[in-house]
Amino acid sequence: MVSLFIIIPFVLAAVLPLIEKISKKFLPDLLTNLAMLFLLIYSMTFGYQIVVSNTGIRQLQWFNQQLNVVFALDGFSLFMLFAIYLLSFGVTLFSIDYMEHYGSKGIFYALFMIMVGGMSGLVLATDLFTIYVFLEVAAISSYGLVAYGLKHDELEASFKYLMLSAVATAFLLLGITLLFGLRGSLKLGDIADIVSSPNLKFATGICTGFFIFGFGLKAALVPFHSWLPDAHPSAPAPISAMLSGLLIKVSGVYALTRIFLNVFGLTPALSTVLMYLGVISILVGAITALGQGDIKRMLAYSSISQVGYIILGFGAGTSFAIMGALFHILNHALAKGLLFLNSGSVEHATGTRELDKMGGLAKRMPITAATTVVGSLSVAGVPPLNGFWSKLFIIIGLLQAKAYGFAFIAVLASIITLWYYIIIQRRAFFGKLKETLKDVKEVPFWMAVSTIFIALVCIIIGIGFWAVIPKWITPAANILELGIRYAKLYLRI
Amino acid sequence: MQELYLISLCALVIFSILAILLKDLLKAALSLMAASVFLAVIFFFMKAYYAGVFEVSVVAGLITVLFVSTIGLTKGEADVFESKLPTIIFPLFFIWFIIIDILIMWVLLSKFPPLHKGIPETGSFGEVFWQKRTFDLVAQIGIIFAGVFSVLALFRKKDKNG
Repeated sequence: MVSLFIIIPFVLAAVLPLIEKISKKFLPDLLTNLAMLFLLIYSMTFGYQIVVSNTGIRQLQWFNQQLNVVFALDGFSLFMLFAIYLLSFGVTLFSIDYMEHYGSKGIFYALFMIMVGGMSGLVLATDLFTIYVFLEVAAISSYGLVAYGLKHDELEASFKYLMLSAVATAFLLLGITLLFGLRGSLKLGDIADIVSSPNLKFATGICTGFFIFGFGLKAALVPFHSWLPDAHPSAPAPISAMLSGLLIKVSGVYALTRIFLNVFGLTPALSTVLMYLGVISILVGAITALGQGDIKRMLAYSSISQVGYIILGFGAGTSFAIMGALFHILNHALAKGLLFLNSGSVEHATGTRELDKMGGLAKRMPITAATTVVGSLSVAGVPPLNGFWSKLFIIIGLLQAKAYGFAFIAVLASIITLWYYIIIQRRAFFGKLKETLKDVKEVPFWMAVSTIFIALVCIIIGIGFWAVIPKWITPAANILELGIRYAKLYLRI
Repeated sequence: MQELYLISLCALVIFSILAILLKDLLKAALSLMAASVFLAVIFFFMKAYYAGVFEVSVVAGLITVLFVSTIGLTKGEADVFESKLPTIIFPLFFIWFIIIDILIMWVLLSKFPPLHKGIPETGSFGEVFWQKRTFDLVAQIGIIFAGVFSVLALFRKKDKNG
């Protein structure tokens, strides 16, 4: 049942605050982790079977009655679900120990599950308005989660995030309204019918502009990125990991890619706009990250840069570039999720996020230091880690598209990325242990298990990329390469 | 009719700005209610009767009651320092935004084709709500849960060592 991908998170979210009355910590921890593990395995087994056996378009039935609930479980959406559940499982493991002192765990996990359910619904939706509503589900829960620590900067960051998200969704709604007015339907397949119509060229161009602004803001592309460096560092570490690792990709990159590649079609003009947005984000994110003294802000700017790589790949539109961009969604989600979790571990142990106040932590926190090295090298694109292969594919794709200048900048920014990750390693983990940090201890058991798990996944995907690509990346890339034809054939039920 | 529509539109904008700028929370809540009533009037002019009814009953009615009762139960303990800069800059920015918006919309709307007439996704309110947008209802349940749990999270008691 495809609907389980949405039902399980929502039902669990509804009962968790009640379960908390019986067991404050054990049952919420256990149930959330079991649910995430189940969803991960379910997507890898049942979900994968659906994708290889048919088109993956399923209509929900209730007592043999067809309901107007249609799920598109195709290669692209399954790949996104896999990425969501893989990182979410790591994050819920980490939260067992990390969220001990934040008060109610039941409410935290409930909001977390709603965010996961919202993202799952978004990637399964075949209708523009449904995409919008699920995007709001994930967004509203994330506002609560960013403010979860209840400190001044967390509340301020959450408010800023809410305000800018409201602007983004206003533009998205405007675009959706115009398309509904033009076509009279919100189904992706129906909208794909009108975008190539010559008399609607101007109107669809305007809608494209609204969507670039709205989804660009959600994905934190430069110049729509100002909310991210405040919101992501302020949230509790597991939420920073989810926001930077997944939410910007699902509510920004996935929605943008699905609409532009499968519904509007990648025209040369749109391709150029996306490539420029991507390359500007890469450069601005990387250069700004270099100057940061706060470890989480540095990671947040790095996310802007890495999302730029993904958009650059999709914008180039060649098969290698699309595969690389898809692969980078997964790789960056894992590596950046891992780095944000580790920054939480460091903050948990030392009480600071300032790199100047750290030093020599590897002696006291060997697991955190080792897993941070894995995450850093992966994001920087050092072989044989997973991030290397995705960046390599994007660069090969850019060369295929004869975008030599963009390829050069992508390589150059990768070196800058490596530079600022070396800064983190050197200033936080290596060198002489500071006097003030003598009593620092390694993180508790579940936090260590979580980071080791994600680091191992990064290494395994890096070494076994040849097995991951045909199973997860190629089916997703095939859907995107079909372009408008896919929406016209399958997304109009 | 057209004049009444324009007056409602202007009143909506003015009361919305007042809801943001007024320092007295009670007056701000009442301005929001007035804005909501004018929005409902606009919905009625546009023949979106159900949207109008929901706007009046939920936003102008229920939410205003909640706001006013909460404000009534809350004691003002200390003055919160607020910069005066936004109260000067915001109206100027807003006027500039409105002028740009009118100019852009003027150009855009003249180039826009007539909207689709044979809309397939129509029917009675009940049909559209329950039968055609069923998946959205699931998402709306998610939104309600997200809102409720966010409020519970923001007003929860933290652990002593937290």
